[in-house]
Amino acid sequence: MSHVAFPIVLGIALLVFTGTIGGRIRLLAAARPSPRFDRIPERLQRTFVYAFGQKKFLTGEQPAGIAHAFIFWGFVVLGLQVITQFGRAFSVNFNIPGFGPNQLLGPPFFVARDLLELVVIVAVSYMLYRRLIAHTPRLFGLGRAEERYRKAPHWEGILILSFILFIMVGGLLADAGRLVWLNIHGNERAFAPLTALVADVLGGLGRSGGHTVSEIGWWLHNLTVLTFLNLLPLSKHFHIITAVPNVFFGELPPKQVPRKRSVVQAPPAGIARLDPPPAGLTGVASLADVSWKQVLDAFSCTECGRCTSRCPATASGSPLAPRQLVLDIRDRLYEHPEEQRGVVEGAAPLISDDVLWSCTTCMACVEACPVGIEHVPTIVDMRRSLIDQGRVEPLLQQTLENFAKQGNSYGKSSRMRARWTKGLDFVIPDARTEPVEYLWFVGDFASFDERVQAASQRVARILNEAGISFGLLYDGERNAGNDVRRVGEEGLFEMLVEHNMGVLRDASFAAIFTTDPHSLNTLRNEYPQYGLDKPVYHYTELLAELVADGRIKLTTPLTGTRVTYHDPCYLARYNRITDAPRKLIAATGAELAEMPRHGTNTFCCGAGGGRIWMDDSKLEERPSEQRIKEAQGLDGIDYFIVSCPKDLAMYSDAAKTVGAAFEVAELTALVERALGAAEPEPMSALAGGEP
Amino acid sequence: MKIVVPLKQTVDLVEELELNDDGTDVEREYLTFKLNEWDEQALEEALLIKDAGGAEVTVVALDETDADQSLYGALAKGVDRAVKLSGDFEAGVSSHARAAILAEFIKAGGFDLVLIGVQTPEDLDGQTGVILAGMLGLPHVSVAVAVEADGDGVRVTQEMGAGVTHQLIVSGPAVVGVQAAREAPRYVPISRIRSAMQAGGIEHQPAAEPAASTGLTVRRMFAPQSSSHAEMLSGDADAVAGRIIEIMRERGALRV
Repeated sequence: MSHVAFPIVLGIALLVFTGTIGGRIRLLAAARPSPRFDRIPERLQRTFVYAFGQKKFLTGEQPAGIAHAFIFWGFVVLGLQVITQFGRAFSVNFNIPGFGPNQLLGPPFFVARDLLELVVIVAVSYMLYRRLIAHTPRLFGLGRAEERYRKAPHWEGILILSFILFIMVGGLLADAGRLVWLNIHGNERAFAPLTALVADVLGGLGRSGGHTVSEIGWWLHNLTVLTFLNLLPLSKHFHIITAVPNVFFGELPPKQVPRKRSVVQAPPAGIARLDPPPAGLTGVASLADVSWKQVLDAFSCTECGRCTSRCPATASGSPLAPRQLVLDIRDRLYEHPEEQRGVVEGAAPLISDDVLWSCTTCMACVEACPVGIEHVPTIVDMRRSLIDQGRVEPLLQQTLENFAKQGNSYGKSSRMRARWTKGLDFVIPDARTEPVEYLWFVGDFASFDERVQAASQRVARILNEAGISFGLLYDGERNAGNDVRRVGEEGLFEMLVEHNMGVLRDASFAAIFTTDPHSLNTLRNEYPQYGLDKPVYHYTELLAELVADGRIKLTTPLTGTRVTYHDPCYLARYNRITDAPRKLIAATGAELAEMPRHGTNTFCCGAGGGRIWMDDSKLEERPSEQRIKEAQGLDGIDYFIVSCPKDLAMYSDAAKTVGAAFEVAELTALVERALGAAEPEPMSALAGGEP
Repeated sequence: MKIVVPLKQTVDLVEELELNDDGTDVEREYLTFKLNEWDEQALEEALLIKDAGGAEVTVVALDETDADQSLYGALAKGVDRAVKLSGDFEAGVSSHARAAILAEFIKAGGFDLVLIGVQTPEDLDGQTGVILAGMLGLPHVSVAVAVEADGDGVRVTQEMGAGVTHQLIVSGPAVVGVQAAREAPRYVPISRIRSAMQAGGIEHQPAAEPAASTGLTVRRMFAPQSSSHAEMLSGDADAVAGRIIEIMRERGALRV
């Protein structure tokens, strides 16, 4: 099967491919630097797990996930098939050295090739079914934010799937026809059940018929491979080339201060720590400020829509959809590469303000993305530019000014911060003047919101009863700055950190615990860069440990109480703390019913990333209300349990709006009842203490 | 156009106010101070004039508590000059004394327009601008909601009652008391304030020491008395309705 035509076709195809890929590489080379070459062993490990191991596909939505994983592995093994078939242009019995019929790797390769050809044909057929018949909504655009995507043509996905099918069928026919044509027996049939089966069917055509089928199959395979290759950089299937490096160059988990061994030690998400903008740049205002990793993100988007389908902003009818955001950046790169070289007068904004302000930074998109796109840090980068230009809505502006003057979002005097302790019949030590084991970083909501103050008092009572040494910073505490940073006000974040670090340095304590997952995230992942060298715990980790040790004895099991638990984004997704609250619930004797979205796949309450300081009246349905309805789908829930102060406020409101039959309660409300020490509280007091 | 905006530090009302022992003033020891919100409006209006067609904006403040913060904030927002007038202001400065100090500075500066907050929450008499105009011998317009350049003068919009506004053309230098800027005061990121602080840039001048007296002495201050309180009615609709009727009878609104 020696062909003169094929080397010419191959040469032209590779030349054209080199030209297109060169254009793409120029876009990468023109982008701003990004430091992603450190910690290579960790990067290789994550590439192995997430790219070659296809972890997010195997643990995500099914059966689409497993189908993709098989197509991916099929591509890896069938890469050998491509080389073999290309080689057969020059010699009809070409095999890759070592992969011959009577060589060591030959038979295993035949088995794997046949198996994967079959599996890929099945998987691709299923995917064509989703696109052509089922019309899976995620593939065609969700919510009002993806109107542009919905209107764009969707034939590309179908074309590529057909190509994959042609490659599989072509290769199979080439191999099977060759067996007939050259009358081959032995290992090439014995270890290739599918090929042998097809060859048996083709046997009736005779050797010359086998030759014809083999030729047709061979050209179909090779021409489709070359066309496919040239289409890659021009299409969403560019991810076949860029996804593996994009995973490799992903943000790695920040270094943390070691915690005690008794606590689960899961590393946080890679984007749990944001970096300050590079010197000389206030934020991302245009393509000129976009980094090469952000360009690679844009190249890698497969338009699968897993991000958008989990986005609380999209679900509540806001103008943000993470997929559309990434595609808008990609399209701008392709259509206006000149904007990479500097500000172009009169150019439309890269992403509009209302889209950027819609993000709750819940990280559901980043968690869902199988190719390692980092939407949230990019959104924060762009918000930084809006802040720099003073493009801020009035309520947010007022809040930022409150932070600058008073150090809290409420604009209340710092002297009011610890006023909630007045309701206790003991005095909490001032860690600035008295050494304590634990420093309790309370946070704004738990200090100032009346509903949450009752929960703070409960935590204080439980720890005091258990004889734990803990103290407060009193009026020395300022907001930790987690959401200030994610709003994009980096200067204000630094100011808050400097103040808090100054006070923390003068206080004497062995570890920090906080009732607020947002504070936890920045204290644990970002403060170490500013000199914090103490471990940071969430109070549920601390309480779970005290219960396990027997230092807190839950003597009155809440048998017959049925609860569900809402995982806070910054606890579960950012910091992987999902066990401790569940252990605590189990210890109270209450029965836990999980909502469909739980653990690291939790749904956002809508308050994060500064959204709580912005107008939410334009949303079609608030994320918190959607979440309460999700809980209503469970049977006979008595309590909707939360472990984040913002959640208590958000869900208490949402439960009232929706008219839920259950109460929203903070986790310690259960714990205190199970302690048997608490006065029998009325339901409304459990919900957070409205008088 | 050369615009000057005097800035005044006023009590930040997030702290609880208490009267001093002799009941003649609020206890100042624990107070914190911030820029008078109406001065912030005047500053924004000056910056809007500058944005629209160019102007040189100067801010000037007496060396009172945290005046630097307000001056650096103004520099970060884009004013051209920030001047701090030093002197002994510990005991407080009356509207007359303040106007006299400012008048000396403004006379020397050759300004075309003085934009000043129409009032402060501390002294709701709104006199400083008026006295200043009198001392400078300049025309004065108060309660402005828009000030725009117009030839060699300004066009000032005043808000009257019932949504009626009227416009005045003021020629030559003038003093305008600003009630509200055309747009909400802009947000200035902390990083810009910090770089303004690093760059320094506040000019220091001694304040004039005029002999100005208000002719007023405070005899006694009173803390506000709460005169009424709300009663929350609970129970079902019938119980609540019954209680409402009861209250109306108690107060003599219902005689049956």
